[in-house]
Amino acid sequence: MTEDLEDLYERAPCGYVSLDRHARVVKVNTTICTWLDRSAKEILGRPFHEMLSVPSRMFFETHFAPLLRMQGFFHEVAVDLVANNDERLPVLANAMERRDAQGNLLFTRITVFKAAERRRYEREMVEARRAAEKAHAALGKLNNELERRVEETVAERLKLERALQSERKQGDLREQFIAVLGHDLKNPLAAIDSGLRVLSREQLSDRGEQVLSLVGKSTNRMVELIDDVLDFARGRLGEGIPVDRSPPGPLTPVLQQVIEEIASSNPDREIVVKLELSSDVECDRHRLAQMVSNLLGNAVIHGDPERPVRLEAREENGRLVLSVINHGKPIPAEVRKRLFHPFSRGEPGGTHKGLGLGLYIAREIAVAHGGTLRVKSDEMETRFTLRMPLRAPTPRAPSK
Amino acid sequence: MSVLHRNNVAVRGSGEKAMMFAHGFGCDQNMWRLVYPAFEDEYRIVLFDHVGAGKSDLSAYDHDKYADLQGYADDVVEILRELELNDVIFVGHSVSAMIGALASIKAPALFESIVMVGPSPRYIDEGDYKGGFSQSQIEELLDFLDDNHMGWSAAMGPTIMGNPDRPELSEELVNSFCRTDPDIARHFARVTFTSDNRDDLSRVNTRTLVLQCEEDVIAAPHVGQYVHEKLPNSEFALLEATGHCPHLSAPDEVISAMRNFL
Repeated sequence: MTEDLEDLYERAPCGYVSLDRHARVVKVNTTICTWLDRSAKEILGRPFHEMLSVPSRMFFETHFAPLLRMQGFFHEVAVDLVANNDERLPVLANAMERRDAQGNLLFTRITVFKAAERRRYEREMVEARRAAEKAHAALGKLNNELERRVEETVAERLKLERALQSERKQGDLREQFIAVLGHDLKNPLAAIDSGLRVLSREQLSDRGEQVLSLVGKSTNRMVELIDDVLDFARGRLGEGIPVDRSPPGPLTPVLQQVIEEIASSNPDREIVVKLELSSDVECDRHRLAQMVSNLLGNAVIHGDPERPVRLEAREENGRLVLSVINHGKPIPAEVRKRLFHPFSRGEPGGTHKGLGLGLYIAREIAVAHGGTLRVKSDEMETRFTLRMPLRAPTPRAPSK
Repeated sequence: MSVLHRNNVAVRGSGEKAMMFAHGFGCDQNMWRLVYPAFEDEYRIVLFDHVGAGKSDLSAYDHDKYADLQGYADDVVEILRELELNDVIFVGHSVSAMIGALASIKAPALFESIVMVGPSPRYIDEGDYKGGFSQSQIEELLDFLDDNHMGWSAAMGPTIMGNPDRPELSEELVNSFCRTDPDIARHFARVTFTSDNRDDLSRVNTRTLVLQCEEDVIAAPHVGQYVHEKLPNSEFALLEATGHCPHLSAPDEVISAMRNFL
């Protein structure tokens, strides 16, 4: 069969429509009629826009009719044709005007291609782009929110830090004040002390002697308190407890002196001593005595009065290991946690006297010697243990 | 930012009186290319693009300001005040017919008369009033805009090419005719086709001509008739031309109807 033009027009794989100058259909091919399930008779003579869905009509009138009029053609315009059963047929249309020599419109030719797949794909693209834009906007919002929160957090942190710094400053001031006050209090105390020594050489009545002894004890107590406070202040000011390590010497006599002092003021308490020290120790004897005295004093106060308090000292790999042990109720965990903090006074309502600086200073002394002071407390026993090198190493930075 | 730059205002021609042309939904001031030259000798011609259309400043587009037609009407008043024009003849196509009505209510002294080409105060049917469309058809239109805008840059961008048969197509037009930002087009479509200015018509005291085409799918003849009846001071002219854009398809008929009115 040879190709003939009539058949080519009627059964082309695309739709053909021709319009007169009033946009009425004057020719239409079989392909379109088949697509729309309408006869050519139903279409011919009717306005072209009747073939279109309502939105397509409006779009066509407002956008493409002007375009066609201005440039004489348009390409690839998406419109929906309406089939007999009211079904939409998505198509792409090309159009071209024919005019006479005077520029008067003769007719318009429109070619129509099915485009359901392509239009669906484009619709998906539009939706995908919308989703992407939405996601992008959401992300932007999230970002701004995050930035805002970071800013807030930073501002808060700065505020806290400033508060902390001012607190620290105040703390420093307080500690400096304590140090100065301590110093200034020691001078009048020294005067009282020498006054007492002068008085003790005088002839006094029994009552006078009694008062003198009481005042003397009180003075000593005050000196101790002030020393504690000064030690504390020095520790806090970052200097650490000053220790003066004398040349190596035996530690046993120092410890014995402390034990004697504690025993004489607590005659009814048993103190079991076990010293196994052969090497000399390089330490500040006065400070070490202060520590042991504090530990023994605590053990006597807090320990079970029916059970002995024990002092043990031995050597271990060039280190001194010294323990003070008592029995009785274990130290509760929450108290143990802040036991070495300054002003730690054991349990509320406890019978403990003093500032609560003793253990703090004791540990500072251990640290100043390059050692540690630790506590272990259970139903069996409560044990404070000092571990420190027998010999001074290269000087250590004091701990804060 | 100057109002004249914002709305891409072009002033041409000479004469005491000014004639302002406002384009409708879907295109720009180029829609009037075949009409305004006929009046250039007697009038100062003012052409402009609504913000969001043509070569207006897209950055001036504000979704809130242009959420109803009053935003566009305010722009018209601003342009006329900027140009210090009074007693203007305002020619508005389609949605711009209502924009002109709103502008004349706001500043009556600026307008001598109004020519409405294919006006509609409301496109969606309501009760006895038949605007020509249902709510769902309008929604469908808005979706449809997306379909065509998908290939916007390819199919709608600089789609006007040099055409030896059309010497009137200048180079500038070739690259700009009826280009719209897709998002703005959708928003403008929504504002246009969901508008209801029926109650405003009675407040337009300016003398008005309603130009109506046969077979206008956007604004049917009975809608034009409705506008004419509601306007206190108006004339009605039914053109032989068909379609929604007689100023393009039958410019001579539009020009002579305007001359009769003026």
